[in-house]
Amino acid sequence: MKAAGAKRISLNLILPVILFMTASFLFLAGMLWNYLSPAAIRLLLLTSGILIFLPAFFMERRRKRQQADFANEICASLDALMDGREPEDYAPYEDSQISKVQGRLLGYYELVQESRRQSEDDKQNIQELVSDISHQVKTPVANLLMFTDILKRHELSAEKRAEFLATMEAQVEKLDFLMQSLIKMSRLEAGTFALHMETGSLHETIAQAVSGVWTKATQKNISIDVQCDSQMTVNHDVKWTAEALFNLLDNAVKYTPEGGNIRVSVRPWQFFTRIDISDTGMGIAAGHYHDVFKRFYRAQEAANTEGVGLGLYLARGIITRQKGYISVKSEIGKGTTFSVFLLN
Amino acid sequence: MDIVTIQNLKKYFGEGAGQVKALDGITLSIEKGKFTAIVGASGSGKTTLLNSIGGLHRPTEGKIAVDGINLAELSEEQLTVFRRRKIGFVFQDYNLVPELTIKENILFPLALDDSAPDKVFFHKITKFLGLDDKLDRFPYMLSGGGQQCTAIARALITKPSIILADEPTGSFDAKTSQNVAGLLRSITQDFHQTLILITHNPELAQLADHVIRLQDGCVVR
Repeated sequence: MKAAGAKRISLNLILPVILFMTASFLFLAGMLWNYLSPAAIRLLLLTSGILIFLPAFFMERRRKRQQADFANEICASLDALMDGREPEDYAPYEDSQISKVQGRLLGYYELVQESRRQSEDDKQNIQELVSDISHQVKTPVANLLMFTDILKRHELSAEKRAEFLATMEAQVEKLDFLMQSLIKMSRLEAGTFALHMETGSLHETIAQAVSGVWTKATQKNISIDVQCDSQMTVNHDVKWTAEALFNLLDNAVKYTPEGGNIRVSVRPWQFFTRIDISDTGMGIAAGHYHDVFKRFYRAQEAANTEGVGLGLYLARGIITRQKGYISVKSEIGKGTTFSVFLLN
Repeated sequence: MDIVTIQNLKKYFGEGAGQVKALDGITLSIEKGKFTAIVGASGSGKTTLLNSIGGLHRPTEGKIAVDGINLAELSEEQLTVFRRRKIGFVFQDYNLVPELTIKENILFPLALDDSAPDKVFFHKITKFLGLDDKLDRFPYMLSGGGQQCTAIARALITKPSIILADEPTGSFDAKTSQNVAGLLRSITQDFHQTLILITHNPELAQLADHVIRLQDGCVVR
C-alpha cells in the first residue's frame, strides 16, 4: 500500500510539470511560427505530442492497476466470507470505497447467516414444542387410563359408572381442545400457514370472532358490546385474524365473572387500525404483561379456570405475522384491555 | 448473537464536587436484529447510554463494542465514518433540514457518503412510511408524525445495522406515538435491523423484545 501511495504522489507531482511543459512548447510553436525553421517547429510539435502521450499512457496504466487492486480486494473479501471468516483488513470506519463495498458484502453475508440461524432456531423450537405437547397430553391420558382400568376391574354401581364416564368425557374434551390448539400452533410455529392478506370488512371479521364466544358469554350472562363502523375495511387475513380475536374474546369471557361485560371498539389510525377488547375481569399484574403471551403460561390466579395457556400466544403470533402487534393494559380486579394493532 | 456489548461503562460529566455520574458501571449486551427498549426516569442515564453506543460520547471508563469494533480505538474521523455507515439516529426533534424537500432530506446521508441510492429500497421505505406522495414537499408542510417518519426514512436509507431512537415519539399524543413506534418496529423487523429505543411510555416498551431498565446510571435487574 505504501509503495502504491509513493508512486501516486510522484505521478501527481510530475503530471502538472509535464502538462506545463507541453503547453509551453505549443505556445512557443504558435508565437514563433514565422521566425523558426519548419524543422524546429516540427520538433516542438513532436515533443508536445510525446509529452501528451506519456502522461496519458501512465494514467491509463495507473487506472488499470487501481481497478485490479480493487477487484483483488473484493475477491479476497469474498474468499474470506465463503470460508466463513471475516475479511482481513475490513475497517468499517475507513472512508474508502473498498470498505464501503466490504460493508455491504458483510451485510449480505450476515443476512444469509441469519436465515441459517433462523432455521436452526426453528428446529430447536420444534423440539421444545414436542416436549411441551407430551407434557400437556400426559395428564389427561394418565387419567383416562386410570378410569378405564377402574371401570374394567371393578363392579361399580350405575351411578358411579356414569360419574366416571362423565369425568372421562371431560378429559377427552380437554384432549380434543388441546389437539385443535396444537395443530394451529404447530402450523404457526413451522410458518407453514399462508396468509391471505386482503382489504376486507373488519366488521365481519369481528362478528365471526364474537359469534364463536356468544353462547359461552350468554351462559355467563356477560354482555358483548361491539363498536365498529360496518364500512370499515383493513388489509388483513380474515380467517386467522378472526381466530386471533376469538382467542382474545374467549380469554375475556373466561376471566370475567358472571354479569360482567366485554367491549370491542375499533379506531382507524393513520398507519394502524386499533381494536380494543376490554373486559371487567380479574385483571393481570403489570409484571406479567409479557408472560401472558408465552406458550403454556398460566397465571396462578387462573389455575381454576379451564384453558391450557395457548390462546394469547397464538393470537400474538397471528397478529405479528401480519406485521401488527398486541399490547395489554390492565388493572387488578377491574379488568383488562388487549389492543390489537393491524397495519392498514 | 450480540451486536452491542458494554462492559463496566462509566461516564462522568464535570469534576470534583459538581461531578455528575451519568452512567455508573453498566454491563449489558444487546441482541442482533431485536428490538430493545431502554426505560427509566429522567436523568437515569438513558440518553447518555444511547449516545455512548452511537459513539457520540467517549466513555470515562469501560468498553463499548459495536458490531465487533471497540469504539475507544477509533479516532474522531473514523468514528464519523463508522456512525455514517453503521448507525441510524432518530431524535425527538427530527433534525430535518428545513430548506430541503422530504426526498432530499431522506437522501442526505447518502450524499455525505457519496453513495448512490438504492431506488427500489427508497421506494419501499417511503411507501411504507406513507411519504411516497409527499416527497416534493418541505418539512414544515408535514405533521409532526410525518416529519418523524421522514427522519426514520433518513435513518434507514443507508441500511445501517443499528437504529438508535431517542424518545422519537416524546412530543406526540398517545395515538401518534403508537403509530410511529409500531411502524419503526415493523420496518426494522422487515430489514433485520437492531432497534434500540428510549421511551418513557410503558405501552411502547411492550412492543420491545427486551427491556433494559436504568436507575441512577445503573441497570436495574
